[in-house]
Amino acid sequence: MSTETDHGEETDAVAANGSVSPDDGLLVLDEIRKEFGGLVAVDDLSFAVEEQEILGFIGPNGAGKSTTFNCVVGRFPPTSGTVYYKGEDVTGTNAHTMVQKGLARTFQEFRPFEDRTVLKNVSLALTPNRMFSMQGLRGKTKEKAAEICKRVGLGDRMHMTPDELPHAGLLRLELGRALATKPDLLLVDEPFAGLSGPEVESISDLLLELRDEGLTLVVVDHNMRGLLSLIDRGIVIQFGSMIAEGDPEAIKNDPTVQEAYLGGDEL
Amino acid sequence: MSDNDSTQTTGVLGRLNPITMPLRYKLGLVGLVLLGALPMFIDSTMALTFAGAYFFGVYAMSWDVVSGYTGQISFGHGLFFGVGGYTSALLNLGHGFDPLLSIPVGVVMAALAGIIIGVPALRLKGPYLSLVTLVAPLILVQIFIYRSDIFNGEQGLSGVDPLFGLNTFGDEAMFYYVAFGLFVFVLAVLWIVTRTDAGPVFTAIREDEDAVEAVGLSPAKFKIMAFVLSAAIGGLAGAMIVHTPNGNASPTTLLSITVNVEVIIAAILGGMGTIVGAAIGGVALILLRDQLSAVDLVVPLFDTPISDMDFLVFTLITFVLLFALPGGIIRWATGIGGWLTQRVRGEDPEIAADGGTKTPPEQVYENYTEELREILGGDDDDEH
Ligand SMILES: Nc1ncnc2c1ncn2[C@@H]1O[C@H](COP(=O)(O)OP(=O)(O)OP(=O)(O)O)[C@@H](O)[C@H]1O
Ligand SMILES: [Mg+2]
Repeated sequence: MSTETDHGEETDAVAANGSVSPDDGLLVLDEIRKEFGGLVAVDDLSFAVEEQEILGFIGPNGAGKSTTFNCVVGRFPPTSGTVYYKGEDVTGTNAHTMVQKGLARTFQEFRPFEDRTVLKNVSLALTPNRMFSMQGLRGKTKEKAAEICKRVGLGDRMHMTPDELPHAGLLRLELGRALATKPDLLLVDEPFAGLSGPEVESISDLLLELRDEGLTLVVVDHNMRGLLSLIDRGIVIQFGSMIAEGDPEAIKNDPTVQEAYLGGDEL
Repeated sequence: MSDNDSTQTTGVLGRLNPITMPLRYKLGLVGLVLLGALPMFIDSTMALTFAGAYFFGVYAMSWDVVSGYTGQISFGHGLFFGVGGYTSALLNLGHGFDPLLSIPVGVVMAALAGIIIGVPALRLKGPYLSLVTLVAPLILVQIFIYRSDIFNGEQGLSGVDPLFGLNTFGDEAMFYYVAFGLFVFVLAVLWIVTRTDAGPVFTAIREDEDAVEAVGLSPAKFKIMAFVLSAAIGGLAGAMIVHTPNGNASPTTLLSITVNVEVIIAAILGGMGTIVGAAIGGVALILLRDQLSAVDLVVPLFDTPISDMDFLVFTLITFVLLFALPGGIIRWATGIGGWLTQRVRGEDPEIAADGGTKTPPEQVYENYTEELREILGGDDDDEH
């Protein structure tokens, strides 16, 4: 299965069943497997993320999308397999080190720091990982944080606490906090769930802008809604393994994918 | 200092400008100045009581910076006071070190103890960590009893040199200033640490460690830092107090269960995770106890004088206040103060600005119940 994308020389990002090499892309997953007790949540999954693409990572509920993310970002190590980031084996590296390497994520369930304002949530992400830092003393951090808030559309709500934000606002905060870490690759976990049509559009526009500025994105969703016009390429997984890969239209019409979604979610 | 901010003053330094500083800081500074002048108006017994209160305020602050801020609850902070105090006393007694030399060594030893407790804290979930901190001082006391030849058991070590060669009788006012100086110094250090970058990271750890990781900060690093800082300051207070009439290197002064628990009570009462609250809570608790001891009332049912039941009284007060003012006295006072100033200025006071947000004790309680549920099983969630 080889599909062209509008991002150039993708030759064998996913060549014959999961033989990937570390340099296939910015992020490469090689036979990633994650078991919880007896449950195989991710089943020897291999794929690569090309630089500056927007990759859709699609699958029904419980397919293993978030678990794959968690293995990549170092929230927990995979049971087996290798993760390469920028060509380097980063399997099992802890989460904050991955962030420092330029890989950020948002939480599907939104995890803002409830005890502080939007601005302070973002400021924290600008804090250096050093013991004695007085950076906050100079007020520069605050300026930068405010800029990021504006960027993600929270300019007028910087001084609110997360519990005052609507659903879409919380997503924007997740994005803002992740962007504040200056990522090269951003994993966005199910941003569109619970958003209205216009909100989906406005977030999509933001993500596209970010890509144009050089960011690479992986966007998770359990259906194609909102993804069609956003992604360059998609990967569909079910029960932790890949069942389809290609451009949005091709995925949509893929018989295996349609079968996977039969009776369940709408694709 | 060039603050170019329109709405609120930027950064910590901005807040310290005496003209623009918020009312509560002004009040605090006035309070400190008054306390500085206090020895002129009180007798020597009272001066020593206050000195003891300042030491306790430092204990409470040292607890607060790790437990109040990061939510890693220590039930045995006396361990650090004890390590500091015994180290300094032993060096002074056995090797003739001047207190000015033995106290820093006590601080270093306490900081090491902070690492010893802090490192397991990286792996242990809250409830397990609390168990470790609960047991550690008990073990230390047992060692002190077992090796009574060195540590003189329950009695502890006495006859150490007083600080600066002061006289136990006659120099009470000086001891007041020693304790007061320590109190102000620690208050300043911890205030700066918690109001610069580290403070928000500490409290974020209390809120959600995974989210802290997700913004590229190492919770482990900051937890260790909090433990070591806390232990060093606790050790400093412990090491200093044994060279004053306020205490000696004994389990009762430094690491009894009563000390361990009262430190927590003081910090929670004053306002967990604020430093200032812990400072006030610690001082108030000792002064209150002093007042209680003067009350000649005998509690009928138990047939004991109320002065012997201070511990019980504090525990009761804590429970009542935890329900009435879960944020502690200082948050309550700042809240009221902010509301009042807004009223006075004719602004519309914001109703319950911290409406849906949990107070630190509530957040910690929630973390603990969640972790306990995980530990005790129930679901097979074996993630980390
Ligand atoms: N920490 C865990 N412990 C045990 N099982 C888990 C854990 N996390 C996920 N699982 C299980 O692994 C499987 C994959 O879950 P995951 O959250 O990765 O799915 P998902 O594709 O993100 O689904 P959704 O669209 O609902 O977010 C599910 O069966 C889930 O119950
Ligand atoms: Mg998920």
